[in-house]
Amino acid sequence: MESWLEFAKGPLFRLTFAIMLLGLIRIFMLDIWGIYKAYRKAGDKNMPWKLVLSRGLEWFFPVNRVARNRPFYSTFSTLFHIGLLVVPIFLYAHVKQWEKSIGISWITLPFDWAYWLTISTIVFAIALLMGRMFNKSSSFLSRKQDYLWPILLLIPFITGFVCAHLNVNPTYYQFFMLMHVLSGNLIFILIPFTKIAHCVLMPLSQVVCTIAWKFPPETDEAVCSTLNKKGAAV
Amino acid sequence: MNTTVITDEEKQKAFKSLRKPETIEKQKLDVRYHIEDFDVSERPRRFLEAFAAILKHSNYKMALDHFIRMSAKCSRCATTCQVYQATGDLKDIPCYRSELLLSVYRRHFTIGGLIKGRLLGSGYLTDDKIQEMADSFWNCTACKRCSLECPSGIDHALITHLGRYILSEIGIAPRALVVSTREQLEGATKNTSAIPVPALKDTLEFLEDDMFEEKSVRIKFPIDVEDTEYVFFPAVSDFLMEAESLMGIAAVFTATGDSWTTGTGYFDGINYGLFYSDRMLERVVKKVDEETKRLRGKNILIGECGHASRSAKYFIPTYCGGKDAPLVINIMEYTYMVWKEGKLKFNPNIVTEKVAYHDPCNIARQRWIIDKPRELLKAFCKNYVEMTPSGENNICCGGGGGTVSIDELRTYRTTVGGKLKADQIRKSGCEILVAPCANCKKQLRELVEDQGIACEVVGLHDLIYKAIIFDDSLIEKEEAKSESLPKEN
Ligand code: HEM
Ligand code: SF4
Repeated sequence: MESWLEFAKGPLFRLTFAIMLLGLIRIFMLDIWGIYKAYRKAGDKNMPWKLVLSRGLEWFFPVNRVARNRPFYSTFSTLFHIGLLVVPIFLYAHVKQWEKSIGISWITLPFDWAYWLTISTIVFAIALLMGRMFNKSSSFLSRKQDYLWPILLLIPFITGFVCAHLNVNPTYYQFFMLMHVLSGNLIFILIPFTKIAHCVLMPLSQVVCTIAWKFPPETDEAVCSTLNKKGAAV
Repeated sequence: MNTTVITDEEKQKAFKSLRKPETIEKQKLDVRYHIEDFDVSERPRRFLEAFAAILKHSNYKMALDHFIRMSAKCSRCATTCQVYQATGDLKDIPCYRSELLLSVYRRHFTIGGLIKGRLLGSGYLTDDKIQEMADSFWNCTACKRCSLECPSGIDHALITHLGRYILSEIGIAPRALVVSTREQLEGATKNTSAIPVPALKDTLEFLEDDMFEEKSVRIKFPIDVEDTEYVFFPAVSDFLMEAESLMGIAAVFTATGDSWTTGTGYFDGINYGLFYSDRMLERVVKKVDEETKRLRGKNILIGECGHASRSAKYFIPTYCGGKDAPLVINIMEYTYMVWKEGKLKFNPNIVTEKVAYHDPCNIARQRWIIDKPRELLKAFCKNYVEMTPSGENNICCGGGGGTVSIDELRTYRTTVGGKLKADQIRKSGCEILVAPCANCKKQLRELVEDQGIACEVVGLHDLIYKAIIFDDSLIEKEEAKSESLPKEN
């Protein structure tokens, strides 16, 4: 099991992390490229940047969202995201790993914080899952990935918690650690290809929506000729 | 805002189709609006061809690619859609409605979808799916309120807009809109209400006489004047139904002395293209631009109409020269500007009823004009009340997206589309509801009538006409001069 763990933490991690990074860069660049092309084609190039910015920022300020519709969901989702992002990036054990492999380190979470943030992430992931199952409209809209993501995200948090904060015997420890690393790797691979792409695409949403309404000029003729409708009556 | 879902009985009434069963059978399409006969063979193939052609020549692809990667399915939009709030039918959730078209896009226009479809041999677009889209896309009033609530930034109104456009290319579009647009673009009268020029002139002369009677001021509707500051395009139906709004606008221009004109070559601001076809949108917008150029007018002035204002403001630059296109302004912006410059005076005591202002979605949703009409109203209405939510987050009148012009949808509009609005009006207790939009006015009048709410619906300039005080130099009858002065309290 030990050699497996070494493999999962070493080469496999490097591979999956690279896939995530390149995948995210790819979709981000595709989006930017799409926006650029659309802007070039648009007949009206005047962009209401103030509106775009303020509409975009609204979603980054949790208080705003909580005060609007679905306050519970918004609260859970915000708290869930905080743990989800902060714990993996600033956990002492994780930062040490980075230091060992690439020699760079950054501030780390105090032990207590890590403890409580992990618990809160687990709790709020479950809350979101429950919300999805028992809210009529949410469950109607949900696809498989919408249920599977919170479940998948729970695995590294639970196994990580077990390893870091509970006294388990070494064999179990190794098993949990392997699960922890493997599920983490799986998450990395899936991020760019599923809805979690939102972590890089979100900031572009308002720009996309605004430019989408900026049509290219002379589409009437172009569409007519493609569809063989030239000269057809209204 | 919390509301209750309508009763089964109301639902049955709202969704009852007025079309003959034979027509439904023949057109192989069970929707609630009338459609001209169209080719029913191979609809899925033709739908996909139209979709492909549109994607090729537009900017939609970029947005669709973004949307299919993003959607979080958080169901926030459900809490804002007035249609879903009224029907409680899960299929009316904006995100579901959008998914109808997004799934076609994913399956037929992305590599992943094509491969999956090939491997599993499934998911090809069917007639049933087209039927569902034809139904669903016209349930939406295109108010765009849901797009404010979507953290993924998915613009459901854009998707509905695109869906209707594609459907129209295969012949599925409400007859009422198509017939009007045909008259506007190819007919003899060149306007959606089929008003001949002589009739227009008669109407305007008649209104001028009326106004002289009432105000003792020679208020004019200048026709075909060249080189004016503003060329005026109201919703043409105003000439038939909203005389008071037009009178208010003419009164403002008389008070300021600025030059403006209505052109007899083309005088219709209505643009149903915005509701069902980008191709028609482009054609209509170009007509407005042409007429402005013919008259060598400087700016385009749109009357009290939300969709006419939005289609001109956002699409004149698109289709008529970008930065070089003429400036488009809405009449409320003009009136506000001249009032601020001190060129307008109002009698502050004239309107004593409880007045509320309804934001037309097409004017407020993008934060275009929100405070200006309110400030104007507060200048001469003693009892102004606000409805909540309002402004950019306003609730749609329930007749947006062209549905107000489709008479067979009236019951739908006044029981489903406008239910939330009706609740809001009732709660505000207003006696006069100001709606500076031809579509909103018609819908709101039908709404208060069908829902039994005692409230009068008027335009902003209807009240301005009442409140405006002219300079003595303009008043021709001696006895009228003192009358027009504000009375002491
Ligand atoms: C900075 C980056 C991110 C931002 C701004 C962001 C924002 C959002 C937003 C706005 C939602 C919609 C739900 C709501 O309204 O709260 C959402 C949902 C979600 N996000 Fe993120 N997110 C980010 C990163 C991530 C990452 C890295 C993951 C996972 C690895 C993730 C996992 C999820 C999940 C699973 C949901 C769905 C929750 C549910 O079940 O409803 N997010 N995110
Ligand atoms: S645009 Fe308005 S009517 Fe249409 S789905 Fe969104 S909220 Fe509902």
